[in-house]
Amino acid sequence: MSRSISDSDLVSTFAHLGIDRDSAAHYAGRLEHLLLINRCGECSTYHHPPRPMCPKCWSTDVAATEVTGDGVIDLLIFLHQGPQAPGVDYSTPYPVASVALDEQAGLRFTATVIGSPNEEIAIGQRVTLDWFDRAGVPTPAFRLVGGAA
Amino acid sequence: MSTSSRNPMKDQVAFAGAATTGFSAHNTDRTPLSLAAEACSKLLRECGLKASDIDGICGPSSVSAGDLQNTLGIPELTWWSNPPIPFVNQVIQAASAVHAGVCDTVLVYHVPYRHAFFTASALRDPFRRVMPAIAPGGNPDTMWGPIGYTAWASRYIHEYNVPKERFGLVAINDRSNAQDNPGAAMREPMTMDDYMSARMVRWPLCLLDMDVPVDGADAFIITTTERARDLPFSPVMINAAVLGMVDANVEDQTVSLEHHGHHVVAKALKAKSDFWIDDIDVYFPYDGFTIITLNWLENIGFCGRGEAGDFLAANWDAEKNRILINGRIPVNPHGGALSEGGSQGSGHIREAIHQLQGRAGVRQVANARRTMVTAGGFFYNAQGLALHRD
Repeated sequence: MSRSISDSDLVSTFAHLGIDRDSAAHYAGRLEHLLLINRCGECSTYHHPPRPMCPKCWSTDVAATEVTGDGVIDLLIFLHQGPQAPGVDYSTPYPVASVALDEQAGLRFTATVIGSPNEEIAIGQRVTLDWFDRAGVPTPAFRLVGGAA
Repeated sequence: MSTSSRNPMKDQVAFAGAATTGFSAHNTDRTPLSLAAEACSKLLRECGLKASDIDGICGPSSVSAGDLQNTLGIPELTWWSNPPIPFVNQVIQAASAVHAGVCDTVLVYHVPYRHAFFTASALRDPFRRVMPAIAPGGNPDTMWGPIGYTAWASRYIHEYNVPKERFGLVAINDRSNAQDNPGAAMREPMTMDDYMSARMVRWPLCLLDMDVPVDGADAFIITTTERARDLPFSPVMINAAVLGMVDANVEDQTVSLEHHGHHVVAKALKAKSDFWIDDIDVYFPYDGFTIITLNWLENIGFCGRGEAGDFLAANWDAEKNRILINGRIPVNPHGGALSEGGSQGSGHIREAIHQLQGRAGVRQVANARRTMVTAGGFFYNAQGLALHRD
């Protein structure tokens, strides 16, 4: 897949997230506000994080494929301290959620949750995908469906 | 796939001894190599072994086998390795090398160390700051590594409606036991109020749910059971040893609390060992996070799903303020990772050996003959070890 950004710029933008050739398409998608999850061209199974082969059928025909980002919160924590990151000070505990995506049972994506006070965020709630900028880089996040109660 | 019971190494390889520097929850002015050399030289003296009696070395990569050989003046090695922790991995590799005849007597070591990643005070030490980073930084939007245990602790509470006080029993057990261990880093008594009011780090886990970063070292001799019989201490035989991992091993993709590495370990250890949980005299579940101990108790079969907290409350020795399973089996009598110090399993295995050799001092479990160590967590590092003596 041709990209509008050079490999060098892509790698320097996402070096702190551990980008490699197998995950490059996923991270390039973020720059276009697209959540891309690897999907097998043979058996249609999604997997994440991006691997060079389909874990289900061993096909190498895997491609970063857009998903809606709609799903349900499976795992949820609030960081009272954590790694230094632009715009995160932890004075309000920072939510991190692993969301079971609607596309496939057991397929999860992890991101923060924005747009609601922490008291309203809980395991089992439906969310949808949103984006925010961190140091100028588009970053995926989840938002409770229906917004704040 | 069926679980194999094949185990030709059974009881052929043994621990001849174990020693420790003791652990400190403060930055020492020591390097990992200095701590390893102290523990190893102490153990070699206790076992009456000379440098030239050692022909294998195995420990984590924070101290290379070559640097340790050079420091201790061990003349010749025919085998060495620096595999990743937790520590049952070092044990399995060393025992396998002995069983295969690649070497005869292995010096095995671990160095729990207050790396800059773990604490702010460690980060302030310039010598620690320049050591290789042990974890990636800069990304809060992840369930990576230790954070994954918090994620699944949260899920555990959600699924089984477990009050947080049940997690506290794991921490209090360790602290009560550590009071009898002069080498433990944290020995002040802990109450449930202390636990419940501890600083929140990653909700729902607080500071006292997480193991203590320490400086220290453990050392072990692994050799043939036959050779160990000629050394001063009773051989502690490796009856079975396994690692366990499933395909969905990434922290946020783990299928559930009912399907991860622990379950592979439980099946494989049971298939390969000659004894099981009702036969043991002391038990060593991993406790790098309180949730790991609760889930081990369930996954190894002491109780059902989500019942570990109630099980601990029902098996509580009120007099000593600690766990005593069936009124008989102490759990992590050395204080575990939460109070002796975070040793990635080496402290548990060292205490298991001392208990079976009758060398555990005031902590000695009467007539301890069999034990199990269930080390590691859910994702990349579940491990099991069944040990016994004659």
